[in-house]
Amino acid sequence: MRSSAVLRRHHRAIRAATAAGCACAMPAALSVSAVLVATAHAQTVATITPRLSPDRLGATGALSFTIHYADSAANIPPPLRRSILRFPAGLTLEVPRLGSCSVSRLRARGADGCPADSMLGRGHALIEAQVGSQPIAEDVSLWVFLGPLRNLTPTVEILGQGYTPYDERVVLTGTMLPAGGPYGEALSLSIPPISTLPLEPDASIVTFSLTIGAPVQRRAHDANTVRLPAICPQGGFPFAAEFTYADGSSGSSVTTVPCP
Amino acid sequence: MPDRRISMLGCLLTAVAFGCSSAVAPASPTQTLTLGAGFTPNALGAPTNLSTTMTFASSAGLPDPVSDVVAYGPAGLSVQVHGVATCERAKLEADGPSGCPAESRVGFGGGVGVFELAGLPVREPYTLDFFLAPQEHGHLAILIYADAVNPVAVQFVLTAREVHGPRPYGFGLAVEVPPVSTVPGAANASVESSFASLGGANIAYYQTIRGKRTLVHIKGLVAPATCPAGGFPFEAIVTFEDGSTSTASYSSPCPSGRP
Repeated sequence: MRSSAVLRRHHRAIRAATAAGCACAMPAALSVSAVLVATAHAQTVATITPRLSPDRLGATGALSFTIHYADSAANIPPPLRRSILRFPAGLTLEVPRLGSCSVSRLRARGADGCPADSMLGRGHALIEAQVGSQPIAEDVSLWVFLGPLRNLTPTVEILGQGYTPYDERVVLTGTMLPAGGPYGEALSLSIPPISTLPLEPDASIVTFSLTIGAPVQRRAHDANTVRLPAICPQGGFPFAAEFTYADGSSGSSVTTVPCP
Repeated sequence: MPDRRISMLGCLLTAVAFGCSSAVAPASPTQTLTLGAGFTPNALGAPTNLSTTMTFASSAGLPDPVSDVVAYGPAGLSVQVHGVATCERAKLEADGPSGCPAESRVGFGGGVGVFELAGLPVREPYTLDFFLAPQEHGHLAILIYADAVNPVAVQFVLTAREVHGPRPYGFGLAVEVPPVSTVPGAANASVESSFASLGGANIAYYQTIRGKRTLVHIKGLVAPATCPAGGFPFEAIVTFEDGSTSTASYSSPCPSGRP
């Protein structure tokens, strides 16, 4: 059936597209070999901490990563506009039942409006904005969904929903792209301006944490997840990131997670 | 009283944000005052944010220090602050904005102040934090925390009291501004520009209602249900330190499809 063929192609593309995850065995928190530090400009520093569970070659599980942004010269880092996250070769996204959710549907209906089988993961973020004399912070819940194919390229959508003090919803859109060795795939994310109040500056992301997939003991048998590479290169699993900020500055860095 | 004029400059400056439809009123031969205002979202009868800008300028030197401001919004503009906490003036004066409950914040703002030192103008940015205060004789009151840090640290609290203007105006606020001294030997500070952003369409707080943590949306400012021909009218009346006054008016465009 033609539709089946399309789905298979989609599935293969997704598997090839190591969306984001990697999981290290280890029931508990896994050790992260290195911490990724990205210097954007003289003041902005992004620190990335990947985490894999379970920590076992070839296992299915979860990739978690936390990115912390800080600015040494200002209380709040500049707003982020674009990021490219590169993942180790061999890391794949397992999608047992294909489902996708459109950006318009996400914006209109929120996370509950998307098919359950399109959800890839969850997370949270902390955003801040300097309004008046003090920074105002807001906790934001994140949901990661598989988006529709774009030119046969897998896409990812991240819904951010904050409730207080501003009940606001934003959607980050991403595309999976091939990455040169030692990486397998890259997730290119566009971050829209996060408005606060008229005449006041946009909010900035201070921390951003995502978990793609879930350890086997915590997920449904047909849940989307990630599969760790079967081989770990010498030096560990490589991760890399690039960031572009609203003030035009940018930064990049690399890190590794130790082999199991 | 000196003859005052107000230019269209500020109108141009604020046109991008609000769409400028007019704005000016007499100030002085050498001094200009401009008012801009608008609703976001610009929708009839909906919870909204009100953003305003005021610009003072003088070709003969620095603007005069301001001693009093009265600003009116359009008739039909309402304020619904049920569920919003309040802040005590003494607490704000003692501890600054961190001393007020987060749920008592109703707006933000800022601008640029200026004073003359040794014949030279010294400009200084400042911020404004707005907190809802307990009602005064049944009228709404808002505390305004003004904060300037560099080159001269100045912090003080103002009280904006609810007033009502004549038609076509309605809800308004009146604020007395005390003399703002800076450094010995320098004149009192005056204002070059000021902006404020009050309320919002999407402000929400968690409250425990019957033992359940519930997200409560604050209506805050609610835009008029109708828009007069020519747009929503705003007016500001500024009294200066020397006792002179000037009045600036501004019309914010009606929502799409309205006159």
